[in-house]
Amino acid sequence: MSPMSSSLPPRGSQANDDERLPLAFALNGEAVDTRVHPLDTLLEVLREKLRLTGTKGACHEGECGSCTVLVDGVPMNSCLILAPQVHGAEIVTVEGLADGETLSAVQKAFIDCGAVQCGYCTPGLLIAAKSFLETCPNPTPEEVRQGMEGNICRCTGYMKVIDAVVEAAKAMPNPKGGRHDRA
Amino acid sequence: MFYQPKTVEEALELKARLGTAARFLAGGTDLVVMMKKGRLTLEDVVDLSRLSELSGTRDEGETLYVGALCPHRTLESWPIQVLASAARQVGGPQIRNRGTVGGNVGTASPAGDVSVALLALDASVELISLRGTRMLPLREFFLGVGKTAIAVDELIAGFRFRRPSRSAFYKNGKRNSVAISVVCAGVSLDTDGYPAIALGSVASTPLRLLKTEAFLRERGLDPETALEAGRLASEEVRPITDHRASAEYRRAVAGVAVTRLLTQLMPGGAHVAHV
Repeated sequence: MSPMSSSLPPRGSQANDDERLPLAFALNGEAVDTRVHPLDTLLEVLREKLRLTGTKGACHEGECGSCTVLVDGVPMNSCLILAPQVHGAEIVTVEGLADGETLSAVQKAFIDCGAVQCGYCTPGLLIAAKSFLETCPNPTPEEVRQGMEGNICRCTGYMKVIDAVVEAAKAMPNPKGGRHDRA
Repeated sequence: MFYQPKTVEEALELKARLGTAARFLAGGTDLVVMMKKGRLTLEDVVDLSRLSELSGTRDEGETLYVGALCPHRTLESWPIQVLASAARQVGGPQIRNRGTVGGNVGTASPAGDVSVALLALDASVELISLRGTRMLPLREFFLGVGKTAIAVDELIAGFRFRRPSRSAFYKNGKRNSVAISVVCAGVSLDTDGYPAIALGSVASTPLRLLKTEAFLRERGLDPETALEAGRLASEEVRPITDHRASAEYRRAVAGVAVTRLLTQLMPGGAHVAHV
């Protein structure tokens, strides 16, 4: 059994910080060492404990994708993950996409294409797009639709999001060198 | 309490000790939702995310084995069409990366796409506890909505099925993505050409259509019997009317789905026009 299971408060007791579960993971490349309630979701810990409010919550049941983060490089709904489950993992949120002041290709493309309306779904879309383009570096619009089906934009601004992901792909360096050129 | 066992044996010891107050947590795509929406109060959570020994798949020659903690994502690229197609249509990519095959079956939703696919493969579920291991045919595992034949100290370890000669899956949802099935259906043909047929969202559990299968066993599979099998399937299902669809609609779709899948699986069937 993991040492995490020791010294936990029984459920319902007044858990003070000392009694909470230790949790260590890498967040956007930096080590985080904190304590959480065992039933806190990763989304709750990111937003309320670590104050990284870029990641949004909306449906809280895995339908909308607004809470998408990368867990060891894989996009997942942070609202469905109990925080202790990511002990030792590498988490990337929207705050981790830019390199200092330099925006990532996906972020730039969203701005250039006007792919942001109210903006609430944007952080999840950006993470989903980054991950999608790693598996499908030169997508057609139809492939973007399918690959990003786990994210909803209730402003219904999908066309410009699709444009932005296709544009971001063109701007990203081709793994084989040079730029993409799809006939 | 939150427990994170490092071995299967530790997990089984914990469950045996904690009993019904504890639930196993795998991908959490159902369990965490129920907890957070207040539909389930848990005393203890036994997190299975460290048990990598249960997440793999094995080619055993004539049979295939899928570990309970295998995420849907892994099955999407499998050559077993009914399973790959079902896995591709579960939730969105984020859910498929997280949700597990064992969780899909253990949740015992009548609409579980992967559950229906495994049922259509005539799979058996491997249940383990400190008392030992047992293989149970999946069609005996589902007892009702959210109810299964699992004992309180047991854990779903994985699923085993014979490699089919051909198989296919059909899903009817309210939209193309991230939709709960209004009706879903899976069909596999074994190496002798005998079909196993399973449907979802047409009864209180994923349902094997044994009567329809018996008809096809006796009469063989051809365009005419595929049509008749669809009619039998419409009669054999036991759907209800709910906010997603009426019982009448589900009966009709069930029949069309069965005929369409059987037609698709006939030799040269890919060229047969859609019913």
